[in-house]
Amino acid sequence: MELVTAIFGEAGPTLARLSRYILPLVAALILARCVGSMLRERYEPETWAYLYLPGNVMVPLRHWECILGRARSVDGQVNDPSVERLHACLIRDAAGNWTVYNLGRGETYVNDMRVPPGGSPIADADVLTMGSAAARFVDLTEQERASLLKYRHAPGRRVRPGVTLLLLTVFQILLLLQQLTYNPDAGTGVAIAFGVVAAVQWAYFIVLRASGQTGFEPELLAFLLSSVGMSVAASKTPGDMIKYIILFVVAVCLYVFLCLWIRDLKRVKSVRLYAFIAAVVMLAATRLLATSRNGAYSWIELGGNLTIQPSELVKVLYIYAGAATLDRLFVDRNLIFYIGFSAACVGLLALMGDFGTALVFFVTFLVISFMRSGSFATAFLAVGSAVLAVMVVLSLKPETLSRFAVWGHVWEDIYDKGFQQVRAMSAAASGGLFGQGAGNGWLVDIYAAETDMVFAVVSEELGLITALCCVVSLLAMAIFAVKNASAGRSSYFVIAGAAAVSMMLVQMILNVLGTMDILPFTGVTFPFVSVGGTSLLACWMMLAFVKGCDTRARASFAVVRPERFTGGAGVEDGGAEDEGWYGDGYDEDDADDGGQWYDDGYGPRGGRR
Amino acid sequence: MKKVTGRALSVLLLVAVMVAGMGIYIFRLVRDGGDWASFYANDSVYTQGVLNRGAVLDRNGNLLAGAGEGGFLYAEDASVRRGCLHVVGDLEGNIGTSILSNYRPELINYSLLTGTTTDGGTVQLTLDSDVCAAAYDALSGKKGAVLVYNYKTGEILCLTSTPGWDPQDGIHFDLDDPAYEGAFINRAISSVFTPGSVFKLVTMAAAIEQIPDIWQQTFTCNGETIIGGQRIVCTGHHGTITVEQALAHSCNVAFGEIARQLGGDTIARYAEAYGLTASHELTDEISTAAGSVPAAQGDGDASWAGIGQYEDLISPYAFLRFVGAIANGGTCVEPTLLAGEKPQQVQLMDPATAQTLSEMMSYNVQYEYGAGTYPGLEMHAKTGTAETYGGTHAWFAGFITNANAPLAFVVIAERAGGGYYVASPIANAVLQKAVAVLG
Repeated sequence: MELVTAIFGEAGPTLARLSRYILPLVAALILARCVGSMLRERYEPETWAYLYLPGNVMVPLRHWECILGRARSVDGQVNDPSVERLHACLIRDAAGNWTVYNLGRGETYVNDMRVPPGGSPIADADVLTMGSAAARFVDLTEQERASLLKYRHAPGRRVRPGVTLLLLTVFQILLLLQQLTYNPDAGTGVAIAFGVVAAVQWAYFIVLRASGQTGFEPELLAFLLSSVGMSVAASKTPGDMIKYIILFVVAVCLYVFLCLWIRDLKRVKSVRLYAFIAAVVMLAATRLLATSRNGAYSWIELGGNLTIQPSELVKVLYIYAGAATLDRLFVDRNLIFYIGFSAACVGLLALMGDFGTALVFFVTFLVISFMRSGSFATAFLAVGSAVLAVMVVLSLKPETLSRFAVWGHVWEDIYDKGFQQVRAMSAAASGGLFGQGAGNGWLVDIYAAETDMVFAVVSEELGLITALCCVVSLLAMAIFAVKNASAGRSSYFVIAGAAAVSMMLVQMILNVLGTMDILPFTGVTFPFVSVGGTSLLACWMMLAFVKGCDTRARASFAVVRPERFTGGAGVEDGGAEDEGWYGDGYDEDDADDGGQWYDDGYGPRGGRR
Repeated sequence: MKKVTGRALSVLLLVAVMVAGMGIYIFRLVRDGGDWASFYANDSVYTQGVLNRGAVLDRNGNLLAGAGEGGFLYAEDASVRRGCLHVVGDLEGNIGTSILSNYRPELINYSLLTGTTTDGGTVQLTLDSDVCAAAYDALSGKKGAVLVYNYKTGEILCLTSTPGWDPQDGIHFDLDDPAYEGAFINRAISSVFTPGSVFKLVTMAAAIEQIPDIWQQTFTCNGETIIGGQRIVCTGHHGTITVEQALAHSCNVAFGEIARQLGGDTIARYAEAYGLTASHELTDEISTAAGSVPAAQGDGDASWAGIGQYEDLISPYAFLRFVGAIANGGTCVEPTLLAGEKPQQVQLMDPATAQTLSEMMSYNVQYEYGAGTYPGLEMHAKTGTAETYGGTHAWFAGFITNANAPLAFVVIAERAGGGYYVASPIANAVLQKAVAVLG
């Protein structure tokens, strides 16, 4: 309050009251700009090579992983009775080398050499024979690449991200103003917290913008949600903001790191096994080291009041290890291994009694396995799903079950089992459309409100409009990931992106609808908004997977630009990026396969060399 | 790839679940948000569980209950507090049909748009606090109810029920104490009683319309008679009398015979048609208890049913509507409790029947109860003394046609004695007050 008076003088309280009505409008505007930019852009697939089929039919290969065959659902359809429904698979690596694999019972030849089980390389002008149909494989020429690039649009021209960021800063200033006015304990700590959020987002934007990136929608939404989360933290423990400030910065750093890491698919694949192991070990360790909280063994106490919830980080590992490239999808062994891995994760969560997280994993398992399954192994999946479902049920501890008992009847048990939810609904209704003001609510003092019932806290303090903006932000992110899937390069990124948004959606569904007694109350977090360290880290890292499937031109630094592979067309701003701020780590890593690419694969035909 | 990317659409299923869930939430918020916000734990409108905003006012703007300096206050006058208790209610929510129990969203001024972020609201009632206080005083410790309403405008001036307590003191009595039996119930709207002789107005109305020679008939009363094998006992020896005299004397022998002629089915049908067995909407949120007048089979039971005994049970509120309709020429202006509410009108009975009943009720007063008993009141009424287990309910119901005070009323004193000796003086006291305040 003193701060407000110091800054705004006598007008402070009036400004704060006024800002309650402006805040939701700013939130809605930010959301509208991001959604507009994400969903209005045209679908512009990338093209990587061509296949000339008999009868001079040209099939553009729009992904790094393409299936050829007679079926309608393949990427390159060959209408010939001698061709299998799913006959062969063409896969491009980051270096630009293409490999062809034979699928199913048919036979495939490259230049009359039979393709062995391990696949065989295929280069420009090679003849690919499937059954009795022969096709010519044609890689793109330099000119074709350049002209294709020219026709691809970068986002951010119609809806400028800088303006959205400016609005987001206004949003944060308004939140701060309200906190300082309405929250008697809010002081410099809260001011610093919002200052850090703003500083981080501007630094992030400026660096990336300088390196030529123009797509910022998912991050802007994440920053919006994190700002709301910071306000909830300020309402809960205004005197203890340093923890949240550090967590936020670490979360964004981890996000940036993961984005850079997944640029190189080969590197991603090389450590997948470690991710598998790390996930299982972390969950097992948690079960052994954790102390019980409401019957669930999910939290490890690190001393002080610092606790971590490793299962949140395992979510990221689960997606990282669970997504797969197309070549792996056609090997049943891999799917069985994946089902076993999922069963191990969910089983350990069942042992921990963490029903909410087990459910989140289960739904994510369904999404990933559905996407992985192709047309194979439906039976495996059915069995796997059933086993996992049983494990999810086993994770139900009496504490959780008792909450199930009041599902749909919380108002009949206001003193005990429905205690939290009736208060959540009451507070949420009290906020109206515009809220009581940030820091002006009472619900946040109820047990676990800042995590499990955060939607109600936001509704109470910031109003229904802002709360709905939070919900729609995640929905938009999910639709965005789905939209990008069709232009995805590798199925790894498509699956990872879809899995990440699914995980966030399931959490949001359980959180919001559980709080409002539409679904049973399971106590999971609302992505980005719920106060809670490990969960925030996990959400930001999952955002990297959303960025990883965004193949729009110059939209995502988690995706290597096609220019990089041409050696020429992208020079005008590619250079800044290549030698840019993310530095040596990437280049060193890239050296292995990158070098190989220039020397063996692309070199002979090449541009510069 | 196409296969995999196509399957990414499965994510939209989750999006659909969330959208549907939010749809349900918003639907419920629109429907129930006011009730949610009214929850006692909502610290934005309750200070340590006590409502910190809102006011209930009487028709003249006098405070009946509301948040003020230093907490939640009730009316200053103790009789007003007690006389309005069952309508206004208490903060603890003991009285389920009260304003404080049912109009919290209005009191906290809840709206979907602003939630509870505005100042509190007021609920103004049609009650007159002075009339209610007079009713409480007139009941003088008896259990019962007094109902008064303007049968032309619908405004309820008084809806007092006893026993109650002083809401300012809270509950300091033993709930099992017989003196406080049903203290949480508003007897005026939530209880049903055996009507006794006031029900003869219903039987009379049926007779006017269903027995063509009713005016030519005479009845001979020797104190008792046998109908359908049952002994019908009368309050006196009325000799040979006309139907007007039978109503005025409240002669059981005559009405037993009329009821026999009508039959149990007809009596039940008329009771239903006059809304005596239905539940009514006092307000949008508060409804009244439904009565019951089963169709008696056999002459004996039909006779007792026509006298208002047998298994007849009627709420005072339903009877108020009925006498209001008689007073208003057959059309019932529905009673209203919330000030400014536009009353509905319903044609309850034939205007000619209403006119005849009205004249007969006036005749009762002129020739039986005594016009001087109700000085200044143009009284039309009927007494009732209903036999029940443990004593007789004293009823007095009717209306006055004073130009400035077109008021219908029902008084019931539970197991308190006879209608004329117990209920009629209470009605007189309350109506005198009502006429005085209406000027």
